Amino acid sequence: MTLTGNKRTAEEAFMAQPKTMSPFLPIFETFRSELDEHHDRRERIIKASRDITAASKKIIFSLQRVRTLNDPFPAQVAKDTKKHYDTIRDRYSSISRDLQGINSFRYQFQITPGNQEFVEAITFQHYLSHQMLMTHEEAQKELDKLTGGGERVILTAEDFLLGIFDMTGELMRFAITTMATTGQLPGAEKGPGHHTVLSDLRELRTQLEQVNVHEGGRFKKDFSSKMEVMRTCVEKVEGALYGQVVRGAERPKGWVPDLNGGRREEAEAY
Amino acid sequence: MATASQMVDPVIFANLQSKIDEEDSFRNAVRDIIQELDKQTKFALAILSRAHSTPAARIGEVTGAAEITIKELINTIAKLSETASQQPYYKFNYIWTRHMQDACFTILFAGWLQHNGKLFTIEEVGDILKVPVNLKDRDAFHLTVEEYLLALITLIDELARLSRNCVTLGDYKRPMEINQFIKDVHAGFGILNLKNDILRKRSDGIKYRIKECEDVVYDLSLRNLAPQT
Repeated sequence: MTLTGNKRTAEEAFMAQPKTMSPFLPIFETFRSELDEHHDRRERIIKASRDITAASKKIIFSLQRVRTLNDPFPAQVAKDTKKHYDTIRDRYSSISRDLQGINSFRYQFQITPGNQEFVEAITFQHYLSHQMLMTHEEAQKELDKLTGGGERVILTAEDFLLGIFDMTGELMRFAITTMATTGQLPGAEKGPGHHTVLSDLRELRTQLEQVNVHEGGRFKKDFSSKMEVMRTCVEKVEGALYGQVVRGAERPKGWVPDLNGGRREEAEAY
Repeated sequence: MATASQMVDPVIFANLQSKIDEEDSFRNAVRDIIQELDKQTKFALAILSRAHSTPAARIGEVTGAAEITIKELINTIAKLSETASQQPYYKFNYIWTRHMQDACFTILFAGWLQHNGKLFTIEEVGDILKVPVNLKDRDAFHLTVEEYLLALITLIDELARLSRNCVTLGDYKRPMEINQFIKDVHAGFGILNLKNDILRKRSDGIKYRIKECEDVVYDLSLRNLAPQT
């Protein structure tokens, strides 16, 4: 028997039978509208999450043009990032209603990429301005500001931690580019406590390595792979500094160390 | 190089760690309950599987025997519901959703056997399991539409098997009823707009169950064994 069969025969058979409608159709109609609602919400969140990710990446890209710590940003950078924050605000506001009450964690899997990238952007920005790691609570507050504080989008501990891991990649990029262009590791003279990007990266590494993630949680896998990437990032800056100390004097002006595509390596690790 | 650094406030990581630990201890508490639930569900299903070798007239003995275990199962779900409702529902729902499907299937199968091919609605299953269903207005433990539908597909799989076994027992009437029942459920699934997810994958299998049941009906009709209606 084939279900598709010959169309006419199937139709004839259908007409010939005084077949009653399935008694279950009414309950399935309810299910249909429930599932449709769910799928629509899911789609909206996936789209918003993608846009938030893209806008956050653009913010990070602009921020990478900054060369000093603890200074106000160049006007162009501030202007560029503002535009992207507007996009992020718009997207978060468009879905905050879908992430309330019973649905607050229902679409976590869909929203987490956007949340993580957003954390990466705001913590990197915070670092450049203050040379400090933003707290989870502060990050949530930044997000609340965007959503107007009414219907809150929750930034989970996982979103925050995974975002911080990605941020270490940005710190590496920032450190190496700055070293290449100015010949100096950023930080030191101006920063509170006289710490450099490298000592900050090491401190962050120590803290991240101490986080104890339990077996059986859903985020163990992401956590472990990002841990590896983070270690590589710290070591790249250490390597760059080593190179500068050993060969620094011989370095021709304007020479840029090979970044070895830090981003690409990160992608491979997944 | 600078040594004393203040980039990271240690409180940040202490707070994150305590959140992670809190979630882990919640998971552990839920896991203990689920293990119990799992044991009871398996036991209830082991009893109900005797339906495959029990004539329709004596099916009451089978469902009756499963009743005590089903009651225990319901008590365990009450415990699960109480513990699970301490946290946002969908944050941890992945831990128990499989087990709720199995429990729901147990109820559907027992109900079908006991009430001659009756399909319990999601509301009826909720009443029996003493949990709310398809909650939308508040964040608490409940039986979801997806869980119910997946359990219903498991019921279809089981009934297709039962259809053949009825014939072995000399019962030529129930395969006709099963055939109709599965077709009716299939018509229901037909009006859902399914995405490419687990529900889609599993409901795609219903058509093969229909074929199996039709084959049984065909075999019976061919030999004039099908009861005249």
